[in-house]
Amino acid sequence: MPIVQFTPLSSLVQPAFWHALTDLKIDVLRLSDDAVPVSGSYSIGRSVKDRETGVEIALGCNLVVGGESFAQNAQSPAHAVPATGVFKNYNTIEEFKAADKTALFNAVTDDIWRSITVDRSTAQLTRFLLITFADLKKYKYYYWFAFPAFAAKPAWEIDGGWGPASDVYGESFLSGIHAALSIAPRAFFLVKPSKNGSPPEIAPVEEYDTFFADVPPEERTVAFLDPSAAPTNPGWPLRNLLVYLAVHHPASQHRILCWRDSEGAVHGGASRSLVGVLRGPSSKLEEKPAAVGWEKNVQGKLGPRVADLAPMMDPTRLADQAV
Amino acid sequence: MHAIQQQYWAVRDYLSPVLKESKFKEHGRITPEEFVAAGDFLAYKFGVWTWEKGDASKARDYLPADKQYLLTRGVACLRRATSLAYTDADEDAERLLSFGDLSSTGNEADEWVETHAGRVANHDSAANPGEIDEIPDVDDPAGTVSGAMGNLSLSGANGGIGEIPDMDDIPDMEEEGLEAGDDEATATAPKTTASSSNVIDGSKVEVAKGNLLQVRTYDVMITYDKYYQTPRIWLIGYDENRTPLTPSQIFQDISADHAFKTVTIEAFPHSASLQAASVHPCKHASVMKKVIERMNATVIEEQQAQRKASASGVASPKEKQKKWLFRRTSGNGKEDKTQAPTSPGAEDDIEGMRVDFYLVVFLKFIASIVPTIEVDSTTAF
Repeated sequence: MPIVQFTPLSSLVQPAFWHALTDLKIDVLRLSDDAVPVSGSYSIGRSVKDRETGVEIALGCNLVVGGESFAQNAQSPAHAVPATGVFKNYNTIEEFKAADKTALFNAVTDDIWRSITVDRSTAQLTRFLLITFADLKKYKYYYWFAFPAFAAKPAWEIDGGWGPASDVYGESFLSGIHAALSIAPRAFFLVKPSKNGSPPEIAPVEEYDTFFADVPPEERTVAFLDPSAAPTNPGWPLRNLLVYLAVHHPASQHRILCWRDSEGAVHGGASRSLVGVLRGPSSKLEEKPAAVGWEKNVQGKLGPRVADLAPMMDPTRLADQAV
Repeated sequence: MHAIQQQYWAVRDYLSPVLKESKFKEHGRITPEEFVAAGDFLAYKFGVWTWEKGDASKARDYLPADKQYLLTRGVACLRRATSLAYTDADEDAERLLSFGDLSSTGNEADEWVETHAGRVANHDSAANPGEIDEIPDVDDPAGTVSGAMGNLSLSGANGGIGEIPDMDDIPDMEEEGLEAGDDEATATAPKTTASSSNVIDGSKVEVAKGNLLQVRTYDVMITYDKYYQTPRIWLIGYDENRTPLTPSQIFQDISADHAFKTVTIEAFPHSASLQAASVHPCKHASVMKKVIERMNATVIEEQQAQRKASASGVASPKEKQKKWLFRRTSGNGKEDKTQAPTSPGAEDDIEGMRVDFYLVVFLKFIASIVPTIEVDSTTAF
């Protein structure tokens, strides 16, 4: 059986985030390089139809940080789910280079592991790490994201590949999920058909035991909001969800629903969500597995990225653009 | 100079009175209340648009605090507008588009012309590999991109305009040892187009017909401009690596008629520091007036036809799809959007296009300025 491959999250940093960082650095952090909480969000992976060739083009699997990311209890945008993380800004490029990245990464994976095993919570499954160096005079920002995900050994395999959700579930089932999620978006959730044919029931993953108490294993569906739009690859958040399931609800197989139906898909008709039966380790996971997840740079190598905002922030450069 | 000009605009904006009277049909301008009503309609009908609060210190008091401007994120832009440069040879490619149901109106004036129908982007076809170095390459810093702009060269005083960050500046800190080996469960963007499905990954460069795609995304904002009394559009772009676009890169996505003339980089009014590209609204009102006039005539005609039909007891099958167009305006348009339309037989029902529809029309107009940015998600209508 083929191994399940996941589309990594990629960071999308809005210019407003760098403006917020500039203010934070000057007014609050100053020379401190302590870790600061940061929040981001991701939403359903979008694809767009090319009008010339007619093919569907999957857009990125993005985690977005913006101007409100440093705010306390920041609200995530409509149709998006929040992700929290750790932010660390260095004062010099040398410190940025010399930072002990392995230790920082391990600290975040420890947080995730603790929230899975001790708190039994799914809230921290997409916790991320962001380290930066802000060259404020040149309007350049060096940054490196990590989206830690535990690597399952052996890897998860898929039974028969991903299929359209509409092959498995009825239209009313899917539109019921859509209606429930459009009121309150959830990153991870459980679905079961209700007895009398009314809309399906939805519950947080934490309520697995009670929610699925009288549901036969083959009718249990674990779903997540999928930021990937690739046809054969589910998004990165599923990896840690599978670890959560392996820790608390070990089973020889799980039926996974990759929820991808945003507003447009409902108007357009066809469902884009995928469903698949995953097989993995059936014994309970006890030890913290190894994790991966540093974001690659533009050249596809492990390394930091740079955002050069001089053309949009430097007053002298802006003056040149003016008509 | 630019700074002074912006100060002047800020003062002028502050001093100009808030438009009180609805006149959108007479001269294409709208009041803040109508902007909110049209925005509510847009956000309700098309979930990708949401109201934003913006920076509290920059809030405009003539708009509700939580409805300062409209925002949609991640709008795809597959090709550069410069690759759509229009030549005489392309005239045959014009195609009439109708966005009413033509059969129901029988009115050809409702049609729009799509000029680039089925056109292959002329720079990057597989048959033309000589052009392949149009792709801005990381090894090729100083703007071949701007070369593609042809004679529209930017007066970049800073020399090489610097679209691409100088790679030498990035600290050399690749860390191979950071992650042990390749993770087998990490999906990598496949190098070949072996995908069996017809959904392809945007990061893949080559597509079926050999067109090269650089999928950019844009965050699009619509604000209300108090001086010109029209909506105003703002763009913040990202390239395929999600790096913010520079002004000259953004100009590649704006049709040549408008780049450098009506589109400029300005301070975004609802943020303390953000700069964004904006289409200057000085001509919006007159263009909107023309478009609205034509659409209004069609709508009134339809309403009359429909009233006759309903009077004679024949229910038109088209009625269902179109009736949201002719709901009655109840003053400020703040009524429940889902409310059923009033009886189509009512005497005062003929009032033409509702102001709610204003922003939908506005987006179609903006789509002509930025032809490759898919701002107009409303094509279903």
